[in-house]
Amino acid sequence: MSEIPFKARLIRLGSRTKKPDRTGVPFEKLILFSRNPMGVFGLILVLIVVISAVFAPIFATHNPFALDIANRLAEPSFDHFFGTDQLGRDTYTRVLYGGRVALQVAAIGVSVSLVIGLTLGMIAGYGPPWLDNILLLVFDAVRSFPTIVLALAAVALLGPSLSLVMTIVIITSIPGYARLARTSTLSLKNTEFILAGQSLGASMKRILLIHIMPNVIGPLLILAAMDVPVVVTIEAGLSFLGLGVQPPTASWGTILNEGYLIIRTTPWIVIAGGIPLILTTLGFTFLGESLRDVFDPRLRKGN
Amino acid sequence: MQTLLDIKNLNVDFRTPLGRVHALRDINLKITKGKIVGIVGESGSGKSTIIWAITQLLAKNGIIESGTAEFENVDLLQADETTMMSIRGEKISMVFQDPMTSQSPVHTYEQQMNDIMYRKSNLSAGEKKQKAIDMMARVGIPDPESRIKQYPHQFSGGMRQRAGIAMSMLMEPSLLIADEPTTALDVTMEAQIIHLIRKLQKETETTIVVVSHNLGLIAELCDEVIIMYAGEILEAGNVEDIYYNSGHPYTKALLECDPAREIENTRKLPVIPGDIPDLHIKPKGCVFASRCNFSVEHCHSKKPTNQRVSSNTHMAKCHLLDPVFSQSTAQLKPRVQQVPQVTGQRFINKNEKHFLEVSNINVQFPLMGKVKATFKRVSNRFVDAVVDASLTIERGETLGLVGESGSGKTTLGRAILGLVDTKSGSAKFEGVNLCTLQQRDFKPLRREMAMMFQDPVGSLSPRQTVKSLLIEPFKIHNIDKNLEEEAKRLCDTVRLPENFLSRYPHELSGGQARRVGVARALALNPKLIIADEPTAGLDVSVQGEILNLMNELQDEHGIAYLIISHNLPVVRHISDKLAIMYLGRLVEIGNSTDIFNNPAHPYTEALVNGIPQPDPRKRRKLLSIEGEIPSLTNRPTGCEFHNRCKYAQPKCKVDIPKVKFLPGGRQVLCHFPLNV
Repeated sequence: MSEIPFKARLIRLGSRTKKPDRTGVPFEKLILFSRNPMGVFGLILVLIVVISAVFAPIFATHNPFALDIANRLAEPSFDHFFGTDQLGRDTYTRVLYGGRVALQVAAIGVSVSLVIGLTLGMIAGYGPPWLDNILLLVFDAVRSFPTIVLALAAVALLGPSLSLVMTIVIITSIPGYARLARTSTLSLKNTEFILAGQSLGASMKRILLIHIMPNVIGPLLILAAMDVPVVVTIEAGLSFLGLGVQPPTASWGTILNEGYLIIRTTPWIVIAGGIPLILTTLGFTFLGESLRDVFDPRLRKGN
Repeated sequence: MQTLLDIKNLNVDFRTPLGRVHALRDINLKITKGKIVGIVGESGSGKSTIIWAITQLLAKNGIIESGTAEFENVDLLQADETTMMSIRGEKISMVFQDPMTSQSPVHTYEQQMNDIMYRKSNLSAGEKKQKAIDMMARVGIPDPESRIKQYPHQFSGGMRQRAGIAMSMLMEPSLLIADEPTTALDVTMEAQIIHLIRKLQKETETTIVVVSHNLGLIAELCDEVIIMYAGEILEAGNVEDIYYNSGHPYTKALLECDPAREIENTRKLPVIPGDIPDLHIKPKGCVFASRCNFSVEHCHSKKPTNQRVSSNTHMAKCHLLDPVFSQSTAQLKPRVQQVPQVTGQRFINKNEKHFLEVSNINVQFPLMGKVKATFKRVSNRFVDAVVDASLTIERGETLGLVGESGSGKTTLGRAILGLVDTKSGSAKFEGVNLCTLQQRDFKPLRREMAMMFQDPVGSLSPRQTVKSLLIEPFKIHNIDKNLEEEAKRLCDTVRLPENFLSRYPHELSGGQARRVGVARALALNPKLIIADEPTAGLDVSVQGEILNLMNELQDEHGIAYLIISHNLPVVRHISDKLAIMYLGRLVEIGNSTDIFNNPAHPYTEALVNGIPQPDPRKRRKLLSIEGEIPSLTNRPTGCEFHNRCKYAQPKCKVDIPKVKFLPGGRQVLCHFPLNV
């Protein structure tokens, strides 16, 4: 849009009046989305990851915990697509089950922190300055903790568990969402359409939910989509340190870690653990960007 | 006469996702050396595209399809980047509409001007600086030696534009292009800039191209005029020929639409019905045919050619000027809605107590927080935006609130509606003081009053469809009605096609978005509408449409309007009363005809005289007002207008004037009112 000069945009807007109206087009956003090749590609990647994790028992060829010492560190074969690890467990099956852990942490962690961050951020941006200052102080304080160190401290106190990992992930990613939501809210707060709502007597709840949220959520969705791989790697990292997922539960982090130690002799384990991470990262990033294009009508390409 | 720039057969397209827009078609124009040429057109006419095309600064999606532009033996459209770089800024330079965005905010003027002179390697640093200072002095910037060390944000709007002109004149270009040079400025500043450009042109004999939509500005400034519409040149000629013997129906209609032209107070403004055509398809016939009431079959099917109008230099593209058609141009009456004089008395109820009575409202804005003020030992951390404003509006009456930017007119409007906190004073709406009401108690009253905001598109929530915007007032006030029906009814009231209900604000043109704004304001049948700059951002041919609509609705529903505007010529036509604001004070209030014809306050007089007339024979010799609006943080003593007032006397510097009541219900804040 930005490369079209202002006047040309006006011409374009003027020309819209002659276009047939778009009323009654069902699933308009879906159609728009389907026209975006990058988004469709991202969606396919995400679907592959999600489906393979959800239906892991169906796609799995082995029991993820079954030891087969005789076959340890076997090369990829028809029986073991990605070979086996040091204990002879099927890497392919463990990657599938690892996806379950990763997506569980990502989905819950990201969505909860998105909702909390959005709410707090909008309140900070729209509310009175003193509340804004207090909330900002809290956000900054939380953000100043390095995730891993905070996790180490928490694990030392409470013992390692998956739910603890998620709690840490949620707490540390809230400030990112909240800050973004606050900044956008602040810039919207004094725009004329918000004043127009106030002049009609709209309540604060209505202004926040109906007028501010749809305009703020776009960048947050992208951040969320890009946060998914970050959360997945945090989980992997903590699991690697033995602070997250406990053996024998499979997780991409533990698979990577196990493979990393023997990368020179058996590279397939690292590759098997790395590929889903890359696919997840790409898929969610593409999906996030194209979702923004669809949900922001101002960025919408002509149809 | 030497031709400086010769554009032949210029065609420019824009690639857009909706297809190609044929933004310029067959542009032929010659710019004579030493003249001021005005390119006039409404938004979307392609007037700026010409400028971007010849400077090779078109956006990436712009394609020059064909054409040549010869400038000093160089074809600007074919020249390589190195040649263009040596031409831009040096031979062709530009003055932009908004100096705030076109000047570098992180460099001082000295640095910026030095940068422009980088190619003059034969000058020493000291000489360059001297040159920059001389130029600043020449454009009327006081104390240039010290001001040149300042940044753009330290300059006021008018000074910034002066500095912009200084920078563009620095290299003594042979062609100066001014793109809407006064659009971002107030009327009083506009007059000063017009004079400055004229003065500089006389001194340097530079050729100047002024691109503008403002017919008054063009009439004041230009020698030759080019009228553009939808990417084509419809008429070109000498300024007097264009203004007095216009040949093309579009030119005539455009001139007719200028509200400054109407001398009598009319309640209806002329408009050109219809919309600019879709430029995705190259028009077969005349581009204006769909909006022209003389169009014959021929006009829709065949392209008109240039026809001689009144002299050999005056050409217009219109079939009707072709001798083949017997109709003479004199018979052409433009298709503008005729202006019926208002007859009969409108519904103004005067016997009850005042409908809206604003008395002594004061609004202050904090400049800094309490802590910071204590720390910095600032005793007064507030700035007065509105001072002791009092006015009354009766039911069914229109009050025009006029002032330059920063005069506090918008703040006053918002304060009445409780969108801004007041420090003291009251605004009584049917006897209820709005200023002391809690939000909860205010809510039922909000049904009775509505506000229209300045930016037609920006005041509509961007993620909502027109329909949900229209039914929002009903939802807020829990009114149980068939919302579907209501949305359709409102669309109908403002004459917006029903299929617009599913659109988003950014898909509307300025005029359409404004209609949605009007419809929203009308939703709950309010008794009072506060309209902030209802014509801002609209073309002349459309602004009349909106104002006429507002007028009709007033007659139908007996609505009272408070119209806030800087545009005196428009407002006075639709207002019963006028209130003039300066630095947060109301300096004059009274009947609009009286005020316009016999201003009592010198500031009002300056505003009235500051309107550029769309008449090249009425060029002003004298500036109506000098200087700029002082800062609110640094108010002048005594009468706050004294330092710009040409009638100022010693007393004015010392004593703050009291409100004087003149016959006819007029009030004026001046020691020595005029015309009494």
